[in-house]
Amino acid sequence: MAPPFPHLNVSSAYSMRYGTAFPRALVNRAVEHGMDILALTDRDGLYGAIKHAQACADAGIAPVLGVSLALDVPASAFTPVPGVRTPRPRTGGNAEDRVTVLARSGGWSRLCRLVTAAHHAGERGAPKVTRKLVGEWAGGAGEHGFGADDGLVVLLGPRSDVGRAVAERRDEQARTLLGLWRASVPGVVIELVDQYGFRDAITAVRMLGLAESMGVPAVLTNAARYLDPADHQVGDVLDAARQLVPLHPRHLERTTSHAYLKSTKEMWQVAAKVCGADQERVVRLLSTTRRLAEACSMDPLGLLALRNDPPDLNLPEVGRDPVPLLRHRVEDGLVARGLDRSDEARRRLRDEMAVIERKRLSGYFIAVAGITDMIRGMGIRCAIRGSGAGSLVNHLIGIGEVNPLDHGLLMERFLSEGRIGLPDIDVDVESARRLDCYKAIFDRYGEARVACVSMMETYRARSAIRDVAGAMGLPPHEIDAIAKAFPHIRARQITASLNDLPELRDSRLGEAGLDRVFRLAEKLDGLPRHIALHPCGVLIGNTGLRDRTPVERSLLEFPMSQFDKDDVEEAGLLKLDVLGVRMQSAMAYALSEIKRVDDVAVELDTQQGDEPDVQYVPHDDQETYDMICAPRTLGCFQIESPGQRELVAKLEPRKMHDLIVDISLFRPGPVNSDMVTPYLEARHGWRQPHYPHERLREALKETHGVVVFHEQVLRIIEVMTGRDLSFAEKLRRTLDTPEGRERVRKTFVPMAKANGFDDAAVDRAWKVLDAFGAFGFCKAHAAAFALPTYQSAWLKRHHAAAFFAGVLTHEPGMYPSRVIIDEARQCGIKILPLDVNKSGKDWRVERLGLRVRVRPSQLSEPAAGRRREFRIGEIGKGYALRVPFSAIKGVSQAEVERMVAGQPYTSLADFWDRARPSRPTIERIVQVGGLDALHDLHPGGPRWRPGELTRRDLIAQVGVLERTSASGVRAGPRASKRYVPAGARDRPAHAVPQPSAQLPLGFGEHLPPGELPEMTETEMVEAELEILGIDVSRHIVSFHDELLDALGVVRSRDLLRPRNGAEILVAGVKVATQTPAVRSGQRVIFTTLDDSTGPIDLTFFESVQGRCAATVFGSWLLLAKGVVRRTGTRAVSLRAVDCWDLTALDRLWRAEGIDAVRAVLDQAPQEAAGVGGRRIEYANGFRLSPYSDLGPAVADPPRRLWHASQGSSGPTAA
Amino acid sequence: MSRLYGDPIEVWTRDGEPTQFVWRDRLFLVRRVLDHWVVAREWWKTSERDPGERRFWRVEAGPGRDVGSYELRYDTASSGWLLLRAWD
Repeated sequence: MAPPFPHLNVSSAYSMRYGTAFPRALVNRAVEHGMDILALTDRDGLYGAIKHAQACADAGIAPVLGVSLALDVPASAFTPVPGVRTPRPRTGGNAEDRVTVLARSGGWSRLCRLVTAAHHAGERGAPKVTRKLVGEWAGGAGEHGFGADDGLVVLLGPRSDVGRAVAERRDEQARTLLGLWRASVPGVVIELVDQYGFRDAITAVRMLGLAESMGVPAVLTNAARYLDPADHQVGDVLDAARQLVPLHPRHLERTTSHAYLKSTKEMWQVAAKVCGADQERVVRLLSTTRRLAEACSMDPLGLLALRNDPPDLNLPEVGRDPVPLLRHRVEDGLVARGLDRSDEARRRLRDEMAVIERKRLSGYFIAVAGITDMIRGMGIRCAIRGSGAGSLVNHLIGIGEVNPLDHGLLMERFLSEGRIGLPDIDVDVESARRLDCYKAIFDRYGEARVACVSMMETYRARSAIRDVAGAMGLPPHEIDAIAKAFPHIRARQITASLNDLPELRDSRLGEAGLDRVFRLAEKLDGLPRHIALHPCGVLIGNTGLRDRTPVERSLLEFPMSQFDKDDVEEAGLLKLDVLGVRMQSAMAYALSEIKRVDDVAVELDTQQGDEPDVQYVPHDDQETYDMICAPRTLGCFQIESPGQRELVAKLEPRKMHDLIVDISLFRPGPVNSDMVTPYLEARHGWRQPHYPHERLREALKETHGVVVFHEQVLRIIEVMTGRDLSFAEKLRRTLDTPEGRERVRKTFVPMAKANGFDDAAVDRAWKVLDAFGAFGFCKAHAAAFALPTYQSAWLKRHHAAAFFAGVLTHEPGMYPSRVIIDEARQCGIKILPLDVNKSGKDWRVERLGLRVRVRPSQLSEPAAGRRREFRIGEIGKGYALRVPFSAIKGVSQAEVERMVAGQPYTSLADFWDRARPSRPTIERIVQVGGLDALHDLHPGGPRWRPGELTRRDLIAQVGVLERTSASGVRAGPRASKRYVPAGARDRPAHAVPQPSAQLPLGFGEHLPPGELPEMTETEMVEAELEILGIDVSRHIVSFHDELLDALGVVRSRDLLRPRNGAEILVAGVKVATQTPAVRSGQRVIFTTLDDSTGPIDLTFFESVQGRCAATVFGSWLLLAKGVVRRTGTRAVSLRAVDCWDLTALDRLWRAEGIDAVRAVLDQAPQEAAGVGGRRIEYANGFRLSPYSDLGPAVADPPRRLWHASQGSSGPTAA
Repeated sequence: MSRLYGDPIEVWTRDGEPTQFVWRDRLFLVRRVLDHWVVAREWWKTSERDPGERRFWRVEAGPGRDVGSYELRYDTASSGWLLLRAWD
């Protein structure tokens, strides 16, 4: 029996928009074929290398790794026109020459370095190599013609320069090229491929002849890209999508369906076909292939550092021996944090240090502490998040501010003896300055030691439909309409969703003859589409980093590993997550505004102190908690969503720990497994706390017997089994899946019984673990979240105007600006219109008259004098917010900078001349009243006012100004976010200021003032919504007041009046819709309306979605009928019964009067089919709609006026 | 000199390869396969099921002692054979 055939040229799905099968599937197929070696040679990178090695290690076969790279062909000497390159065909089979480079058994580092160099040489995303470049990394001579053992081997196949010359019968050129290759690379091999295409066999035969005549080894491959022949249709679509061309034979890589992973027998047939009937040649060809495969086989554990014992990590270099360094640092930290006398701290520290030193991670902690120090040194707000907050070492060396001992946080969640995997420290920084942090890290450690982590963007419904429809040649606007009709679902749900979702059923897309498009789009499901910078991961290693991972450039030129976050861990690379959090930026901006306007320095991170002019932020400020309970939390971190507002109103947090619990409870798991109700009942004393066993009281006391935190799960396991926390953490991690839970049960139950617990207690404890174990939230996470949550609430309560300025500038939350503006208005803050002389780049706070300054002493009143009455309208009194230039639609950064720099202005002409805005920009500024103050305009009132200047007159003057200007606008250089390596940054900017050719001009044409009519109030608001996205002068709903009053619509501020169960009408602007996961397994739509007096939260259950879904998703102004549901003393929500588009009703009312409107509202709702789709059911009865947690698809909403958020505020990459 | 025909023929195969065929009432024995290739159809143009592929064989064959070259085509969708051309 002949040895199995080894495939040496295989592209997986990680050959983006080329391959169709994932590495694991390919490995499994190879194993089915009885093969013992399988290569992965993806195009342009090693994106799938780690996954391939994992799959091979699991299957027990040997991996070969390589890459397919494009050749950089120098311009031909025979160009018809000198200086103009003959264009190579961009598409089709002969688009570019490619070679496959395989790593020999020890050649992984060289392969990584070659890929990095190829990406460096080519354009971004289009790496290129030359013979010389490959030669530089190919290694020594070695033997057997395969190069050295730690080197690289080049396969020259039919798509290489040599292969093309052979195919075109340029034999002499082929010999010359092959000679050149052998001169620069020791390991050169001819690769024969016959995919049964026309002339494939002839070319292969001729290449074999060439190899034999020049003494070069020849091997056989199948250049596989599919698992099964039938996948070729997907491959064709990918070929077309990659090249942005319609499907046509001219553009395709293939002519047959034979590029699949063939069996050994099929490959023998191919060999026989290529070699004629010459058995000896067949045997020689296949044995050479086999020998090369064996020479390139690797030990998969060489790549999978974590699977070695001890793990082979790429540790950061800190200059000195890190172990004593870290010991000194924590010793100093104990003193600095005042913990040097605490036995508990010392004991905990001893345990942590033992684990860290045994895992040889001291250097990692030193490096991370160095980075966080550096970030804070740059004046950037920086906070630890996640499980890292549970480590005392992190607290002592200044990485995190949360003391884990205060909150009972455990280190084992972060780092434990038995845990395989690397610790992962996450820090939050200001989002606006995240890239500055990255630049600083690269500057300090150098590109050789640091790289960003990447992630694969994969095909989902919309992107798949776009690419497939494009390949099928549908017109672009139709493609756009079809793709946008779908919510953000997975591509494989497309067909099902057409039947399941009422809004798609109504669209009749399913009957539009697009079956094939949808069917193919489903096949693209989950395939990698392009690579992107991971939002936070930074690898920190030593100079050997690039021996382990290939590095390419991201869109902003940051060096980026080709591995995703799972792969880097598997490869033994340590990383730090630097996450940009918009709320941190918002708070930093608020602090700067407080300082500027009130000259008060607020120390957000310090609870108390002695500086007289500094305001400190104690964590027990009851005025802040009053506001949270009210619940006026719009704009605050984490607690502003409708669901959270309802929860805080019920939970009534009064201290930091309550906020930690609140954040932990508001997760899909706890909400759906109904942990909230028992907790609230016990908290408010309506029910006795229940403990599964008396000995668990200690662990569960803080949450009244309900398991909320991971830490409690660990404690339960610790108490019940008598084992340590490391063991408990291992069990906890297994609780995620039903199979895992079954495994844990088999371990847990006997151990607990052996530990002396009776059957009933064990049973009760197990029930708790089974139900909540997988859903609990890491308390360290929650504690890290609770701090900024409280801080943002404190700022809102005590410095509302500055807080809203920060929120509006950095947009941290789920609500669009106009909602935040409205909330600010209700807080008593005045919103001032754009004014060319007063507006700034960002939202600015302005003082109205004098205000008594908030003194720290006023805040520390005793709790006894607590004012329970909370009046929202008071908190922002005396302040105003000014609309900034940056809010103008389409304004450029350079324009904003010029407009601010030129202040003050004396007239429209002066503004036009010195600020040099573009014409659309200046017209927009006039339309929203930016020059009203300067020219003393008072729009509103009568439209015609002869002799008085109007906004429209000013717009006419802009036209005159433009006609008389000598030159247009010069575009200034834009501030760049790109990353430029340190060396290249010193080059002087090429822009030399040029003298302006313009002279200030008066009006060239005479325009009498008042010639054009003034804008009406409606027109003003329309312009504001259109240009700023905010209704500054009036709330949009106020235009419909008359109709709403006639219908008896209830306003948000009066919602507490109707009795429970009453059916009422409400109306407003839709500001958010969410379809989160809920317990019943329905797709529930939560919608928030804003009616100028506050938010109204509506819930649409599936029973009404049949008739409502299209209106809810498609309209902006809504009128809804709902049933009042009182959920707490201050919490009200509405169960929607029906809804209408308010604009349509308004039109009807104007045309036919109030009775016609009433008739529409009274019509019995038509029954339409509800939402379909099989529920995803969890073991504990938690069911999930397959369409939950998706942003909905919508018709065009006005710009930035409304958006749907997938979750709560702040990016969460947990 | 080659001529185009396109006549439906009956073909006997072994392991997928043609061994003999009947054309114009004469039995041809295949002596040697000269070339074999496959052309996939443009599946995106048809709205129906997979149009399959066409397999081509260029063979040396003859009814008696004298041999010529013939090009045979097998269509997987219709399962039909054609004699496309002949060189004699």
